[in-house]
Amino acid sequence: MAIAVAVSVRFFARLRELAGAENAALQVPPGSTLADVYAALRTKHPALPARDSVRGALNQEFAGWDEHVSEGDEVAFIPPVSGGARCATT
Amino acid sequence: MRYDVTMDPIDARELEAVVSHPGAGAICTFSGIVRDNSRGQTVTHLDYEAYAEMAVPQMRKIGQEIKDRWPESRVAMAHRTGHLEIGQVSVVVAVSCPHRQEAFEACKWGIDRLKESVPIWKKEHAADGTFWIEGDEKKPA
Repeated sequence: MAIAVAVSVRFFARLRELAGAENAALQVPPGSTLADVYAALRTKHPALPARDSVRGALNQEFAGWDEHVSEGDEVAFIPPVSGGARCATT
Repeated sequence: MRYDVTMDPIDARELEAVVSHPGAGAICTFSGIVRDNSRGQTVTHLDYEAYAEMAVPQMRKIGQEIKDRWPESRVAMAHRTGHLEIGQVSVVVAVSCPHRQEAFEACKWGIDRLKESVPIWKKEHAADGTFWIEGDEKKPA
């Protein structure tokens, strides 16, 4: 059993500016969800906004906050898109 | 079918040629253009940023949704990224169908879905500052 899973994180647009980075490599405990990954990132990058204005994506697909991450996953945190006022949350 | 995220200027006629075929009696093309004002302020230029590896598959998914609803349609979409000046084309959706009514409907469906679900962001450089546009909100960049 692995003691940690490594994921690569990508930030875009306003989140990229707030994080001060385009990419981050992160190790999280096995069984972590997208919500856990974002919480870990917020401790490193306190300027990142609360989760309610952000959507998560896992390997280039929108994904719910309770989805689990696996070794090597690409995780992205996505601010609302320009015309996305009616965007459904998953 | 063609789905592009590109730094280069978009030629709407090229996308129309992609969807054109002898059974298509109607081609409806939406072109989004950079406007010189927003929320009562003068806009000088825009920057678009994309998550391209996700944006293109999302566009393809929307194209499939259009095909599911309008089986005789053909679809092409392109979105530009980078620095855009007033009057330049930022996005084009071209849809062909046998008849005009479904072409109008499918094209509207396509641009509405693209705007809400394709990860491309707009940074507005305006008289009162620089902002990321997130849905109905503008947030300082």
